Amino acid sequence: MAKSFDVICVGAGPAGSLAALKLARAGKSVCLLERGSRPGEKNMFGGLLHHTPVLNELIPDFAGHAPLERHVYQKTLAFLTDESAVSLTFESGSFDRAPFNGFTVFRPAFDGWLAAEAERAGALLLTDCTAENLIIKDGQVSGVTVKGREGELHAHIVIAADGVLSLLAKQAGLRGDLRPAATGLGIKLLLGLPEEVINERFGLVRDQGADISFVGATGGMRGGAFLYTNRAGLSVGLVVHLDSLTASGKPPYEVLDEFLAHPQVRKLVKGAVPLEYSAHLIPEGGYKAMPRLYGDGLMLAGDAAGLCYTNGINLEGINLAMTSGVLAAETAIAAIEAGDYSARFLSLYKKKLDASFVIKDMKTFKNAAGMMHRENIFKKYPRVLANIMERLYRVDGRPRSRLLRLVRREVLRQVGLKDIIADGIKIGRSLL
Amino acid sequence: MNIEALTQLAQFEVDDRAHIVVDKDICRTCDHRACVDACPANCYTWDEATRLLSIVYETCLECGTCYCVCDKGALDWGYPRGGYGVRYRLT
Repeated sequence: MAKSFDVICVGAGPAGSLAALKLARAGKSVCLLERGSRPGEKNMFGGLLHHTPVLNELIPDFAGHAPLERHVYQKTLAFLTDESAVSLTFESGSFDRAPFNGFTVFRPAFDGWLAAEAERAGALLLTDCTAENLIIKDGQVSGVTVKGREGELHAHIVIAADGVLSLLAKQAGLRGDLRPAATGLGIKLLLGLPEEVINERFGLVRDQGADISFVGATGGMRGGAFLYTNRAGLSVGLVVHLDSLTASGKPPYEVLDEFLAHPQVRKLVKGAVPLEYSAHLIPEGGYKAMPRLYGDGLMLAGDAAGLCYTNGINLEGINLAMTSGVLAAETAIAAIEAGDYSARFLSLYKKKLDASFVIKDMKTFKNAAGMMHRENIFKKYPRVLANIMERLYRVDGRPRSRLLRLVRREVLRQVGLKDIIADGIKIGRSLL
Repeated sequence: MNIEALTQLAQFEVDDRAHIVVDKDICRTCDHRACVDACPANCYTWDEATRLLSIVYETCLECGTCYCVCDKGALDWGYPRGGYGVRYRLT
């Protein structure tokens, strides 16, 4: 196996497949390399495919063809303590009509479909191929060696969409090792539950879906838990910072077990049948932890480029990945037409990303990664909220306090003045 | 659910070549062995009696947690050869 292409996209995930699709449509020869025996079989995420304009532009009727589960209609943020839950739910007719804000999907199904679209456009999909080494000639990346179906593949440009661990980006010297403090571990249990039970339990009809984020459900570790409804099942799981996980000395699946046994969670998953268990890392360092995005003959896209952020309310990655894949493809098309594959030319990719919502959002929330390291958010504030709610509603013959006094007393007792100021500054700098 | 039952829910195409190899000498002197508890598939076991760290790569979910938390350079870590390893069907 030794072949030459204009571009090799490593990884048939959302970034790689959409890059390959864009390149193939422009008439460029493109090879889409996938280490699984089918695209998507190595891929996992919480469950929500966000509305992504570039996907709709390239495949205008995508929602009519892609294997989607439910559109997310109901968003809930819930704070848990041992026996309480304080929740805020947003439901609106505006989330119940096109353009839908997001869909729950299964990655083996969705990624498989997207890679097939790239193939249909003319990309060559090679499965069972793990890209092992970059081929570098005179300082210029000019292909990859493959482990699986052994051999070499050559190209003018390599788009490394090889995921969060991107061994290729590391080899190229564009980034160092992932830091545990800037990396999240996501684990997920897929549960089967009849469609009508889900609709009744979550108050949904037709294809409406629910998305619940939980804070305070990770055994004191920095992180959160999630629940998404699929058509006939639930995706439940958690994300924790790796440094926080190792400091706890507790296996992640035990934390998941405890979460599922929480009284307010147990009733949501009651009667559900375990179908599949999965795990994946998430680049959670935000803007400040991003690698260099390009080199001579090489561009990084998706998780490989560290394009992911969370600010406690939004958790976005797949939409950033697909957008970066398309922008990398646009840059590659321009480079091929100019016959210039140098890092200097490929800096156009960075300019395109900077001008898009991708880097703008990553910059807007560049301080959020720091905020997510404030332990109190996960350990103490859920308790503060629960105690306030309990005092508000509890009728016990004791004289009541006005709200401000109640809040002040609870915060000072649980958190302390010094911490509340420090947390306030961090949260303020991140979100306000 | 216990972890054995959880990992059995996934499908694996097991390669006879291990994609992760541990340096048992380095692991013997490690002061934290974070891989043992952090691995979401419970692939690592530390035997205090023999002072040996062992790995079952066959049920590895290829997430990279061990690679990330090992700060001793004890892991020769790579992805499995193309076509081998975990095969998610639904997730």
